[in-house]
Amino acid sequence: MKDGRFRKLLDAILVPLLAVLSGLVLMGILILFLRKPLFESYAVLFANGFGCKEYGNCIFITALERATPIILTGLSAVVAFRSGMFSIGQEGQYLLGAAAAAWLGYAIHLPPILHASVIIIAAMLVGAGYGWIPGILKVKLGVNELLATIMLNSIAALVVEYLVQFPMRADTSAVAHSPVIDESAQLMSFLPGSKWGVGFVIAVIAVIVIYIYLWRTKPGYEQRMAGQSRKFALFGGIPSDNSAVRAMLISGALAGLAGAIEVMGVHRRITTGFSVGLGFDGLTSAILGQVHPFGVFIVAILFSGLKLGAQIGLQLRLNIPRELGGTIIGFIVLFVAAGKLYEESIVRAREWSARRRGSKLKGESP
Amino acid sequence: MTLAIEMKGITKFFASAQVRANEGVDFSVESGEVHALVGENGAGKTTLMNILYGLIKPDSGEIFIDSQKVEINHPDDAIKHGIGMVHQHFKLVPSFTVAQNILLGMEPSQAGFLNQQNENKLVDELAKKFNLPVDPTARIWDLPVSMQQRVEILKVLQRNAKILVLDEPTAVLTPQEVNELITVIRGLSKQGYTIIFITHKLIEVMSVADRVSVMRGGRMMGTKRVSETSIPELARMMVGREVLLRVKKKEIQRGETVLEVRNISVADVNGLAAISRVSFQVHKGEIVAIAGVSGNGQTELVEAISGMIHLDGGEIVFKGKPINEASVGERRDLGMAHIPEDRMVVGLNLQTTLDENLIVSRYNHSEFSRYGFLLMKTIHEFAEKVVKAFSIAAARPGEGIAMLSGGNLQKVVVGRELSGNPSFIIANQPTRGLDVGSIEFVHKTLIEERDKGAGVLLVSVELDEVLALSDRILVLYRGKIRGELNTATATEEEVGILMAGGTLEDLKQYKEDNEEGEKREMKS
Amino acid sequence: MEGFFSVFTVELLNSGVRLATPILLAALGGALCNQAGILNLALESKMLLGAFVGILAAYYLGNSYGGLLVAMIAGGLLGLLFAFLYHKYRVDLVILAIAFNLIIVELTVFVMRALFGNVGSWSDPSIVRIPDIQIPLLKDIPFFGPLLSGYNIIVYFSWLATIVMFVVLYRMRSGRHLRAVGENKSAAETVGINAILLQTLALVISGALAGLGGAFLSIGHLKLFTRNMSNGRGWIAIAAAMFGVNHPIGVFLASLFFGFADAFSVRIQNVTDLPPNLVKLLPNVATLLVLIIIGLRSVIALGMARRRFRAQLRAEESAIPSE
Repeated sequence: MKDGRFRKLLDAILVPLLAVLSGLVLMGILILFLRKPLFESYAVLFANGFGCKEYGNCIFITALERATPIILTGLSAVVAFRSGMFSIGQEGQYLLGAAAAAWLGYAIHLPPILHASVIIIAAMLVGAGYGWIPGILKVKLGVNELLATIMLNSIAALVVEYLVQFPMRADTSAVAHSPVIDESAQLMSFLPGSKWGVGFVIAVIAVIVIYIYLWRTKPGYEQRMAGQSRKFALFGGIPSDNSAVRAMLISGALAGLAGAIEVMGVHRRITTGFSVGLGFDGLTSAILGQVHPFGVFIVAILFSGLKLGAQIGLQLRLNIPRELGGTIIGFIVLFVAAGKLYEESIVRAREWSARRRGSKLKGESP
Repeated sequence: MTLAIEMKGITKFFASAQVRANEGVDFSVESGEVHALVGENGAGKTTLMNILYGLIKPDSGEIFIDSQKVEINHPDDAIKHGIGMVHQHFKLVPSFTVAQNILLGMEPSQAGFLNQQNENKLVDELAKKFNLPVDPTARIWDLPVSMQQRVEILKVLQRNAKILVLDEPTAVLTPQEVNELITVIRGLSKQGYTIIFITHKLIEVMSVADRVSVMRGGRMMGTKRVSETSIPELARMMVGREVLLRVKKKEIQRGETVLEVRNISVADVNGLAAISRVSFQVHKGEIVAIAGVSGNGQTELVEAISGMIHLDGGEIVFKGKPINEASVGERRDLGMAHIPEDRMVVGLNLQTTLDENLIVSRYNHSEFSRYGFLLMKTIHEFAEKVVKAFSIAAARPGEGIAMLSGGNLQKVVVGRELSGNPSFIIANQPTRGLDVGSIEFVHKTLIEERDKGAGVLLVSVELDEVLALSDRILVLYRGKIRGELNTATATEEEVGILMAGGTLEDLKQYKEDNEEGEKREMKS
Repeated sequence: MEGFFSVFTVELLNSGVRLATPILLAALGGALCNQAGILNLALESKMLLGAFVGILAAYYLGNSYGGLLVAMIAGGLLGLLFAFLYHKYRVDLVILAIAFNLIIVELTVFVMRALFGNVGSWSDPSIVRIPDIQIPLLKDIPFFGPLLSGYNIIVYFSWLATIVMFVVLYRMRSGRHLRAVGENKSAAETVGINAILLQTLALVISGALAGLGGAFLSIGHLKLFTRNMSNGRGWIAIAAAMFGVNHPIGVFLASLFFGFADAFSVRIQNVTDLPPNLVKLLPNVATLLVLIIIGLRSVIALGMARRRFRAQLRAEESAIPSE
């Protein structure tokens, strides 16, 4: 029994592992093209993304902090995908959550912990509400959730841009931004000079909670079954429509939470061009992390570390354009997408031949 | 009479299913005749026609067209030899017009440019030639199914088919439309076209075919001229005994009614009646079988009773309570179990573990979940219990089930469905695709449940199974109950004739005539 | 409100047409793919690739028109790669699109920095912007003249592409075959139509068009390349295709809608206090409404057959005397 589980785990990480290795190899090729030192580049990349300098000053901490919003938007994607909803609306839900947090941060005044808690809940509600829209549209009207969330993302971006430039605008500086939120709304950081703090803890808690939710609770079970096989769910008596909408509520809430933490823990306000694609980064983490909370956690940190290493290490030290990091990540996703299906057909072939060997004389129907 | 088609010694064995679909089949069709190919499910008629059309390659045998030996490896070859096939599921583009569909892939064009008016005219002429009036400008999605079928026929004629093969053409038609189709077929035959149509509905055979060939169990049982035979005789040829799987049964101890179905009607996807005013009852401690060739409404009947689709008319009463509005989950909670037709896609979720498959019907109950959390250990123990009780090989709690054999998969389904001590069980084709041992297991289990006092509704296309297991037989034909028989006194012929659309009176008459004939022969 | 209406000048309309052009080009490609049954979400990456490769080629070749051509070829090749990965390896189109969008955004900047040093954007004085053309007779038409004349060749090409696509899709054989593939692949394949070839062609053409659209941004407009230059226009093109229900004329109008909203939002800032972004909201919300309406229609249609059946049952019931 243990053996089978271990093998399944191995299968799950084999493809992404291979993809990452291929990506790193590709990176080496590009570095050689630029006629830069190969091994030094790798060393610099890792040291500046995941390493610790002498006196306990770890850049890894920054990687963790940068990973925080990606973990949450990644979880958002995981919950949606596992329920059979291919929603890419994390970007829009994230922005609205951030806007809500930024506004409540200066518009209302409450004692410290209460203030932060209220904001977080509000942001999650906003995100959930925005996630509800594509959910209900799919369930009641059959509207393709992929297309709907694309549109909703654009709409959210425009609305938030408007909010930042007009009603929430703090002053007449060139780059529009909202007022800095009250101290009572800010999330504490653990180390001076770093933004790594409560936000990361929340993300870790979210990872565990979502894992437990999906695999250890009733609603999570319903969602996964409905996501894997609608006919089976209908037959077994699982209310698929409800579970799909519920999934979108949770998915939206997580993305909204990501936005709130970014505002409360890092920027302390919202600015023009706040969206840097963290929603999409979460998506790619979910895809690479085999649509699993733990996978998302690991991949998000890996990505952030890679990007950081490219930014600080490769760029600043070796003058290698930092976009190399992002490029390689994109290729890794490509390798996983192409590799996964390759793997899938091998697995399916293995299953099919094993079943043939295992079945008796008058076996299956064609 | 020249032979338009002659198929000799066709044999086809499907290794993946271990099924001998065609065994040394000889089949010939005269030019210009209407020839019906009949048989039950799995008799091999569709396979034979797929071989003729080049969709399947036979293991051995030869095909002759107009007395010339031909090789048909692909539908293109078949088309070249003048064979056109109209499938059960139409291959039409819904938003295109009739003309556009008929001419699809062979549109006349000037330097790539199309001429809509020209196309419409061509189709008008085509329709006139065959006396199959259609509106070339109508869009397919606006047309009724019978008209769509006409478009498919014209499509085939347009490609110079001289031989038309129609696969269960009346399955999607109303009785009125069936008559219209029969007129069309006769008209085409008069114009010299050869028509083969696959069906199990003997009434239609008698009214339109010149000759009929009956297949059973992969073999050709015989060919008769329609004018020289009768429905009862054909029905007798259609149903046959292979292996008698008689399971020992206790005397029936029938209790009160557990399920009552009153005047129910269900529409299919096209808005036609799949089930039409059906009424029957199932009591505790009895097995009622719904017999019939598949496609006569069984799927809709089962889905309506289990709650997977809504009724369009009538009501269902379960244990004295009306359950029209009850959801699937609610019906299960009331004591209804369901062994579905398709164990791999509907009955199970092959992407997940054994445990998660076993609790889908009862995960809500306090034994498996509390305060919203799943009780993993209890579920695990439950899975162990089921595996042991049903001797499910290669299944282990916590592991996946995708690798299990068909028989073992069905054991998982049965284990789950019966573990809640249901008072009513729907068993829809429960032994489809299973090996002998597994079939025996399922039969034994169903009888045990019946003896324990459950009511069982067995839906099956296998006559053996129906006769072996049931206490009462209801024959479903075209969405209606054609007749009810007491299994103890029913004969294969009686069931067979009802399944093929005939009546018991016909059978009685036929028997009397035969006895008369035999008596006269003995005298002389 | 005087100020509000003063915005409606010929300049605004001109600007709207120009802003609509890259969207139109990409959206036509997207609509073509949709008609062929393929959801092409990678328009953003093809556009960006075209923008970068186009200006680079213009620089190295010393000819901006050459740059346009190279941009189209690059976009087409990317489309070919897509088709290959999709048909040969059954890679999920959406994931493929996400991957490529990510790769191209980063890779273009990477190459730019690798070639030209650590810059945020790149340009070169030797690059010639694609000139505007004044069409002799057209420009003299009263009122409409300035609307129709004075654009660069890419704009006129986009209009031509619209008409050509309409003619091909609805008046020519291959177009009809393509639409058949998109609507019922097996019906098309049964009559011998090569679905894979047509879908591949659609992907290649849409790549080329999107690439040209991107080149418009770099060579035809701003004369430079900067990170993520397309700035979401690929996604707007997807919306425009949806809004125009994949019909070339519809797509043309939808793209104009988006373009005008864009132009409007810029100008209106100078004149009134109306927030610009809310104007841009209109086409996006409209597209979402289109999606909802399409959903509503199919739900209603699906229910109709059953409702008819039930009505028939009820009618029969009342006709039958009580038994």
